[in-house]
Amino acid sequence: MADLPDVTDATFEADVMNNELPVLVDFWAPWCGPCRMVTPIVEELGEEYAGRVGFYKMNTDENAAIPTQYGIRSIPSLLIFKGGELKGTIVGFRPKSDLRKRLDEALV
Amino acid sequence: MREPPSDKSTRKMWNYADKFAAKSGTHLHPDRAITEAVVLGLAANVDDYGRPICPCNFYPEKDADGNWPDGLYLPREEEAKRRDWICACDEMQKFKYCHCLLFVTEEGLPITEHLPEDHEGREIYGLVEDPTPDKGRALGRVLRDR
Repeated sequence: MADLPDVTDATFEADVMNNELPVLVDFWAPWCGPCRMVTPIVEELGEEYAGRVGFYKMNTDENAAIPTQYGIRSIPSLLIFKGGELKGTIVGFRPKSDLRKRLDEALV
Repeated sequence: MREPPSDKSTRKMWNYADKFAAKSGTHLHPDRAITEAVVLGLAANVDDYGRPICPCNFYPEKDADGNWPDGLYLPREEEAKRRDWICACDEMQKFKYCHCLLFVTEEGLPITEHLPEDHEGREIYGLVEDPTPDKGRALGRVLRDR
């Protein structure tokens, strides 16, 4: 399973806002327990949606500007962007089927 | 990258987690990696901010004038001055719900029975009954009895 590429405050504009594909960003932190459950599921979805959706992760311990801008409170939080617009927010652990459903809804 | 926590704080937080789980009638998460991550996060916050602030939240940073945006949690140094997100947090003390999955049922699910029905924990996990309703929820009992 491929690690998700990192996106940072500095690269968010290019990697997410200007991405031709819809993008899901996994906001996580190293010492967040449920993040360790969510990230492997997101990595699996990354393979499933390869070529259709971009997948990134952002460490909120190292990047404060973008989490602040999007009002992140609890982590993990998954934000879905399309054409530079926020299309969906998923907070906390969810099973893969639920994440897939929420992702599909946001991409319509 | 933040520094790993000290051995002293790590030992202290393991001891705290074991004792609070017993006191509250909960279990530490059965996936040791999840429990360890949270315990280390609590210990790191003890080292850096003096209090075991929940590591499963995003806390904004102060700007050059010492201000921070509305609508978010407080910066860590401010959260350390109040109790909302100091473990055991208000949600744990009122509702016996740990969104960080440190204090859970034997199966590894957070207890949601005592949460308001519109709480995100109910949406995520459904109804998870409290197997030991006679334990924990110290703050919830105080508020209920008033």
